[in-house]
Amino acid sequence: MKKLVALVLCLMMMAAFTASASALTVAFSQIGQESDWRTANTDDLCKAIEAEGWTLVYDDAQQKQENQIKALRNFISQGVDYILFTGVVTTGWDEVLKEVNEAEIPLILVDRMPDCADEIEYAAAFGGDFTEEGRRMGFWAGNYFKSIGRGEEEINAVILEGTTGATAATERTNGILEALQNFPNIKVIASQTGNFTRAEGQPVMEAWLKAYPDIDLVLAENDDMGLGAVAAIKAAGKVPGKDIIVVGCDAVKVAFEAIVAGEMNATIECTPLYSRFVVDCIKRLEAGETFGRDVLHPEEFVYDAEGGIAYNAEGDKLSIKAGDVIDERLY
Amino acid sequence: MKRKLNWESIVRSKVFWAVVAEALILLIAVIVRPDFLKIEYNEVTGMLYGVPIDILNRSAEIIIIAMGMTLVIALGGTDLSVGALVAVSGALALKFLRWDVLIYNTPGNYTVMPFYLVILVPLVACTLMGAFNGLLISRLKLQPIIATLILMVAGRGIAQIATNGKQFTTMYTPYQFIAQGHVLWLPLPIIIAAVVLISIALFTRKTSFGMFVESVGVNPNASRVSGLKSNRIIMIAYMLTGFLSGIAGLIYSSRISSCDSNNAGVNNEMDAILAVVIGGTSMSGGKFSLAGTVVGALIMRTIITLVYFFGIVSEAILAFEAVIIAVVIVLQSEPVRKAMAKRGHKKVTGGVVRA
Repeated sequence: MKKLVALVLCLMMMAAFTASASALTVAFSQIGQESDWRTANTDDLCKAIEAEGWTLVYDDAQQKQENQIKALRNFISQGVDYILFTGVVTTGWDEVLKEVNEAEIPLILVDRMPDCADEIEYAAAFGGDFTEEGRRMGFWAGNYFKSIGRGEEEINAVILEGTTGATAATERTNGILEALQNFPNIKVIASQTGNFTRAEGQPVMEAWLKAYPDIDLVLAENDDMGLGAVAAIKAAGKVPGKDIIVVGCDAVKVAFEAIVAGEMNATIECTPLYSRFVVDCIKRLEAGETFGRDVLHPEEFVYDAEGGIAYNAEGDKLSIKAGDVIDERLY
Repeated sequence: MKRKLNWESIVRSKVFWAVVAEALILLIAVIVRPDFLKIEYNEVTGMLYGVPIDILNRSAEIIIIAMGMTLVIALGGTDLSVGALVAVSGALALKFLRWDVLIYNTPGNYTVMPFYLVILVPLVACTLMGAFNGLLISRLKLQPIIATLILMVAGRGIAQIATNGKQFTTMYTPYQFIAQGHVLWLPLPIIIAAVVLISIALFTRKTSFGMFVESVGVNPNASRVSGLKSNRIIMIAYMLTGFLSGIAGLIYSSRISSCDSNNAGVNNEMDAILAVVIGGTSMSGGKFSLAGTVVGALIMRTIITLVYFFGIVSEAILAFEAVIIAVVIVLQSEPVRKAMAKRGHKKVTGGVVRA
């Protein structure tokens, strides 16, 4: 019986391979499922590829680099047409990505750029612009205080940083500090890592509320830490969103709910929905177009309670009201 | 004469030095910021509010886990799986709360499975995993580090499978109450930790279990020959540690209203072992001190709170913690304690002569 089942399975797999030989085969090496953001990212890309009628070879690395290296080598031996790749860490990819280059399979970097990106060939690269996200946090906060008539008042700000050493954390911090130079009334009095988690962001904010009794603004480098700060502010008997302004980053659905409830003030988007760009990119590559070596950024917005607050240096980009789009947000 | 002996035995005990270390850390903090130890009643939340409350609240999980770890270490063993069990417990609880989650998360104030299952299943699962550790160690005679390493790795995998590797969020108020609620003006985790501490203290000191543990820890063979059921004692200690890790997991996940299989309980095994060791229980087994363990856990949380309070830069946190812990451990080392005991001895005799 077992042998029969195995035989049938083999036949089915062979049939599947021959059937798909005509269409494109797109392989995707994803780091694993760590958060709703990542789930949305995987789901969006996989569905879009299948919707095009292409064959998808998906590998979930469960946060392990060795799994990803194995998956990439499998993709090479299977002779797929395109490889989409998001690396769990930034280093240690030189060898395997060079093997991908030698196999002449077009490589598309998604979301995270490996350190060796300068030394390898890639067809295109898509990723968030963390520095710009940081800048937007700063500009939104500065302009928001102006809009509520506190533009001249001295504002004490604290920054909840991401994981120490992570690109997203370093670049967002740099962006925030860069933008805040335009608002001399906002002073950063403390900055500490909350490790991108609610569990670590909350005690940091708890301690700050005691150490600095007059905090006006929390800039959290992701929404989870922002929500941790909200909980800490509530525990201190203050009103988050009014007594202390809370700005998050990522724009996940829970943050939208907090904004609608008035507990958070804004969230800066870092979209996981790359499929539109990636599918379009593959089609254009098939048509013979080429992309430069620049990392392409998806279009992203800022969401808050009322909308209409400028979040860039030129002042021409205005925030969107979170309540209007909350139902469309999946993740 | 009697007083002299007392002073010496106190100074020679490691617990004393743990308390001294904690007092010194707090003293320095209070000198720099006199309001560090201020506690006030917050009318809005109806809770006591202040840094000491935060320290107690945030160290609750480690205190609870370290109670079990103290017994395991007193038996001459160690349990590396506790951090993973924290993740398993939270993942199972959220799985039962949010059985309906398909792809994306839309949290709400409801539970899919009955609430008693949400609490019971994780605790039973963690106790069974503790029993698995105990079985490998007592029956198969595996070394505790190796035996518990299995679940340290596999536990996180089990947690990932339970939740399909996703983070679920819940807004179910009874569940949030576990860590975010308050009783007697104190956050509930403090009360839970106190109840656990008192129960374990009564269990070990009012019954002969504590003595049995120390006896097996000093010499398992001699204990067995003299009629102690070593295997059963080892089983109980590891099951208890599993159960307590389960409680800690419920508290952790309730704090963040979600399960986070990647980050829940990370390094908790090391923190718990460190709390036990700072508290004066030797890694080679034998005598143990529950009070010492509590002080050990408080020292570590005090250091972290200090870091946040005084705005030490993120990059320097680990180095800062390491320096303080190194000083505490050196203070407790045999030669230092002996030297201090001698000095104290002289002083007291001097006093006696003068009188």
